[in-house]
Amino acid sequence: MDESAQSPAAEAWIAFCHNIPALAGLLILLGIVALTLYGTLFYAGDAYEIVWAPHEKPLTESDFPLGTDYLGRDIVAGLIAGGGPTLAVGLCAALLTMVIGIAFGALAGYYGGWVDIVLMRITEFFQVLPALLFAMVLVTLFSPSLVTIAIAIGVVSWPQTARLTRAEFLKIKELEYVTAARAIGTRDRRIIWKVILPNAAPPLIVSATLTVGVAILFEAGISFLGLGDPNTMSWGLMIGMNREYILDAWWPVTFPGLAIFLTVFSVSLLGDGINDAFNPRLRER
Amino acid sequence: MTRSMRAVGGLVAIALALGAFSSGVSADGGRLVIASTQVPRHLNGAVQSGIATAMPSTQIFASPLRYDENWDPQPYLAKSWEVSGDGMKVTLNLVRNALFHDGKPVRAADVAFSIRTVRDNHPFKTMFEPVASIDTPDDHTVVINLDRPHPALLLALSPALAPVLPEHVFGDGDDPKTHPANSAPIGSGPFMLEEFTPGEAVVLKKNPNFFIEDRPRLDEIIIRIIKDPSALLIAMEKGEADMYPFMAGSQEIRRLEKVERLAVTDQGYAAVGPISWLAFNTRSPKLSDVRVRQAIAYAVDRDFIVKALHRGVSKAQRGPIIESSPFFDPSIPAYDVDLDRARSLLADAGFADGMALTVDYIPGPKEQQQTVAEYLKSQLKKVGIDITVRAAPDFPTWSKRISNHDFELTMDVVFNWGDPVIGVHRTYLSTNIVKGVIWSNTQQYANERVDELLNQAAVETDPAKRKRLYAEFQRIVAGDLPIYWINAMPYHTAYDKRLVNPPVGIWGAMHPLDRLEWPEG
Repeated sequence: MDESAQSPAAEAWIAFCHNIPALAGLLILLGIVALTLYGTLFYAGDAYEIVWAPHEKPLTESDFPLGTDYLGRDIVAGLIAGGGPTLAVGLCAALLTMVIGIAFGALAGYYGGWVDIVLMRITEFFQVLPALLFAMVLVTLFSPSLVTIAIAIGVVSWPQTARLTRAEFLKIKELEYVTAARAIGTRDRRIIWKVILPNAAPPLIVSATLTVGVAILFEAGISFLGLGDPNTMSWGLMIGMNREYILDAWWPVTFPGLAIFLTVFSVSLLGDGINDAFNPRLRER
Repeated sequence: MTRSMRAVGGLVAIALALGAFSSGVSADGGRLVIASTQVPRHLNGAVQSGIATAMPSTQIFASPLRYDENWDPQPYLAKSWEVSGDGMKVTLNLVRNALFHDGKPVRAADVAFSIRTVRDNHPFKTMFEPVASIDTPDDHTVVINLDRPHPALLLALSPALAPVLPEHVFGDGDDPKTHPANSAPIGSGPFMLEEFTPGEAVVLKKNPNFFIEDRPRLDEIIIRIIKDPSALLIAMEKGEADMYPFMAGSQEIRRLEKVERLAVTDQGYAAVGPISWLAFNTRSPKLSDVRVRQAIAYAVDRDFIVKALHRGVSKAQRGPIIESSPFFDPSIPAYDVDLDRARSLLADAGFADGMALTVDYIPGPKEQQQTVAEYLKSQLKKVGIDITVRAAPDFPTWSKRISNHDFELTMDVVFNWGDPVIGVHRTYLSTNIVKGVIWSNTQQYANERVDELLNQAAVETDPAKRKRLYAEFQRIVAGDLPIYWINAMPYHTAYDKRLVNPPVGIWGAMHPLDRLEWPEG
């Protein structure tokens, strides 16, 4: 195959592979996912079981490398068990954000006129609400569980995606290939999904990646404020439950905090990398 | 004139907001700043229970009796009192020199009016329920006629429970619960209300005409409401506040213990008697078998909760009556942790393969509630009980679930309020299973003998016999176990070490602070 005939996606992938920070981000993230999925194979332990005296320091002679929390539960087991739900909340919330945001943005941007006005006013309504407070209200209304938390985060964070999508649609719908598609009688639905959306995808993918990171931070924030689901271990919940004892014991709060930091950091690197890879101007540098 | 007053008012408000009140020793009686997280709705303890109202209310209003550290009644507005031989009549002889803050004398009619108001409006119905009528043969004699003997009556005449209201203010026909004077009350207590800024501060000034000579010793008491506990701790550390009663968090207690200037004590809460417990819904199919409840009691390690989770600030509590009360019976079983026994009890009850239960908790400060619930989840797993912790986003949600009996296990905190008749009976009487009322018998526990014992103890005037009745009651409920009692809520008071006569009586700071003073010089 001729080099110049590569698909845009393949070109982007090659560019991505030359971007060291982005690659590092991807590797860290894959590592974290692998640990949460397969961690129990290497490290057996029940995250809820009281296995030792409370607040055993890390790296002592006990069997618990990161020590124990306020109940005497193993922190490593907690990190492994809490990773899955944390990542799942992040992914689900990001997915929800994208679905709502793209639907609103695409319709508003494509049709314009009163559709645009109505949809954008709704978007602005959600945009001006303080996101964390609104999410807390939602979690309070529907008892705290991982599902409600994911939904609450999704519901509060879609307006940005909607605005981004709308902007892309406004730009792309005036381009010649869209006019051409319309001229040959393509239906609106087909133009939106098959013509414009794929071309608007790169910034949206970047936005989705970053949203995962934001959603993980949101979950941590909600759990920290005591509205987490106490029956599902998550990193945010670990911080929230142990924070009362932070003056006595720093480690039960620090390690889940580090895990959140690493995850969000790697997701951000990844998002930046994707952005750079899809952006031809940056790629030429 | 109005303008300058407003300007002064503004300055006061600013000073309050900045916490700029310098406290401590001064030439005269000086000023005491009490810090509190509790927000009073109003200041009239005759129609409102709770710490937030009782603290200012006991300064503003005097009451017929007050109590010393040994649970013995002392004269207050009543200089003497007699209980008739059959216990059906209590006569109070009032002091003659007591005046309300507006200068009008305190008459027998005021006392009678107040007792009726409390009986008809206060949430603790049992305090004055047996009061049939009140006679006032003269202006300084009150005769309380009972329809049955009522040994708890004398304790119910305490400052925290029976404030004496001026009939000429509160008797105007308005509903006492929403009376406008509740926020600007006039009493006959050692301090007069200077200013009440809801949610921020209560400023109390010395009553120069207080009927006890040479008292109060302080010129001014300011109750500053600081809702954020960490801001409150900083105010205490910096000396902006002199006293912090009703402090229950182990971190708070340990932190203030380290402050050189402060003394921290757990004395002063004997009459409050706050018990933190795990309640069972005894009508739930899984928990109706006493063996299951006992198994849970044997599985839970009370010592661990007190020492590890509460950092040693709580005291273990193994019965329905607070262990510091003279009615507590130390011979009742403690259910020391025994996992094998718990497993075999569960097996006997038919749950050899384990079971699933839910546990609720009161949202708010975690240490006494959520933390213990999470501990239960981990601990009960060891005996095969799979616990789901049910979070409630706010107090009304929790309260609705529990009062409608929609729960299996729940953490709870209930106060004894001095006499068992006031604070203990309500939890165990089968006649008090009232759907929709929180802190009634929400466990739906019913035992005929217990009902009988409690009803007898309520009217038994001989203290020794009464004690025996309560001892049998405690042995029965400790066997039936409608509740697994965990610990006494670790209320502590932090106060400036120099203070003389800090509030360490049975009612703590819910008691007139007329003897409290700064040292001379």
